[in-house]
Amino acid sequence: MFLRNVGALIAGGSVLSVVGVLSSRLFAQQGDYFWQIDPNKCTQCGRCEKSCVLPISAVKCIHAVKVCGYCDYCGGYFRQNAKNLTTGAENLICPTGAIQRKFVEDPYFEYAINESLCNGCAKCVKGCTSFGNGSLYLQIKQDLCKNCNECEIARVCPSNAIKRVELKIPYVLKGGEE
Amino acid sequence: MKSFLLIAIITSFSLLTLAENRFPKPDFTSGYQYPIHHYDVPLEGMWIYLDIFILVLLMSLVAWATVKRAVRWPIIVTSVFSVTYFGFFRHGCVCSIGSIQNIALALFDSSVVVSLPIILFFTLPILFTILFGRVFCSGVCPFGALQELVHLKNIRLSKALSVLLSIVPWIYLAFAVLFSITHSGFIICRYDPFIGIFRLGGEMPIIFLGLVLLVISMFVGRPFCRFVCPYGAILSIFSRVSLYKIEITKLGCINCELCHNACLVDAIEYPYINNVKENRMKGVYRILSYLILIPMLMVIGALIMRIGSDSFSRYNKTVRLYEVVSNKDIERPNNQTLEEDAFYGHGGTKEMLAQEVEFIKDQFKLYSTYLGAFLGGVFGLSLIGLSLKRTRKSYTINEANCVNCARCFSYCPQNKLEQDNEME
Repeated sequence: MFLRNVGALIAGGSVLSVVGVLSSRLFAQQGDYFWQIDPNKCTQCGRCEKSCVLPISAVKCIHAVKVCGYCDYCGGYFRQNAKNLTTGAENLICPTGAIQRKFVEDPYFEYAINESLCNGCAKCVKGCTSFGNGSLYLQIKQDLCKNCNECEIARVCPSNAIKRVELKIPYVLKGGEE
Repeated sequence: MKSFLLIAIITSFSLLTLAENRFPKPDFTSGYQYPIHHYDVPLEGMWIYLDIFILVLLMSLVAWATVKRAVRWPIIVTSVFSVTYFGFFRHGCVCSIGSIQNIALALFDSSVVVSLPIILFFTLPILFTILFGRVFCSGVCPFGALQELVHLKNIRLSKALSVLLSIVPWIYLAFAVLFSITHSGFIICRYDPFIGIFRLGGEMPIIFLGLVLLVISMFVGRPFCRFVCPYGAILSIFSRVSLYKIEITKLGCINCELCHNACLVDAIEYPYINNVKENRMKGVYRILSYLILIPMLMVIGALIMRIGSDSFSRYNKTVRLYEVVSNKDIERPNNQTLEEDAFYGHGGTKEMLAQEVEFIKDQFKLYSTYLGAFLGGVFGLSLIGLSLKRTRKSYTINEANCVNCARCFSYCPQNKLEQDNEME
């Protein structure tokens, strides 16, 4: 009985000391708890679409409007070999029709992402980065993300672009948006 | 001079921005306003604290039911609730089993901060175990609860097989810690068999593994808890010293064997009278041989793991990339993988990568050695545990194995007697 109490005391003490050490660190500095994509590292490989544990990936395309050139011929909207620049599906890059464009004034068009349609395939991001200002980029939507202990897309990301970020800045935004 | 510098900096910055924007910013004449985008913040905050509240509540309920009242219905209620809430509703992240890796990582790498919920998910079940035994395993853990609920008929495994298989959790634990502290990945989360079932989706092999485990657990008591779960292995150490122990009956055992037959996890040991009288010298030799055996097994384990460390390190992404990069000229001259594209695209060089890989491999070597010694020790201790014969007068609970499922209570005729007395 005595041995048992001593054992319980040692066990409890060691556990509590571990907790003490770890929680003192918790209060000393801000922890990084939420997964996010660094758009500067992203290579638009398309794995975000397929590897997220959710049926439809929590990764969505975000449009930095202040970086956008509002062009008529948009590298993120039209396919490279589009026959004519109309809104026919055969000319568009987005497989789900999530990018919608609206005429603003000659010669500018506004582009907007319908996030409920976007599946994070990064095709438009690739187009916009290779022929455009790079205003389209991928981010993990924090209201959709399950915040898995090991993020499946972080594991398969070829450029290690997915890292944990703080609660205060849950998005890594591109220029002109801060 | 200072202003000169300033101008230089400003021009370089403007050049940079020019280089970034291939197309100029439009000047709108129609008074167009930029649309404002709203970024949704994480919802976690509230849920996480609700999770912890429910965790404590359920564990208290199980402790009350098993240690104080000796009834089983709260276990069923807890199991159903836990499977629906922690499993199907919260999708099982973060769980206590996975939190081992976060805690291990934080203990070895002081720059890693573990969030409060993870610390609590790791420690609260351990603290409850020190007090009341493995009440967490009983039905609070959604994995245990799921296996408990699907169980139909018990086919008892042979003692040799179950002892051999119960080494597996320790090996799993050692590798989980190894890969976690070398920043290579969380294998407990990756190969979690039930998460696919709870999320109703995921990788096919993992879901299949989960279904196979579920079918097995219909006929074998809690295969995951006993033969896979590393957190159960940790809890089994603490439950040995628990303060308030579970008792099959308060009236005293009549050695009827019913509880032993009812137990799914082989946690009730039959009475045994040790008639072999050992002389003093023989006993001393036996203990000495144990003292030699354990360090020997530790050294062997350490050596085996050290030899294997090079192949273990291939689980690390950077090591794999290095292998691809350094074998490139020989194998596939034209065809680049996405990893290589990203690596060269960001200006990585082979030398930098080689340095990094060397560091990772050194880490693997060091920690593999320690963990090998640890595994050798575990192996030795379980061998000794098998060879020890203690006299037991009645059926007793082996606290390390007992998961507080409360099955045995209703099988005990003494409890029935007590109930009848209460009725009258």
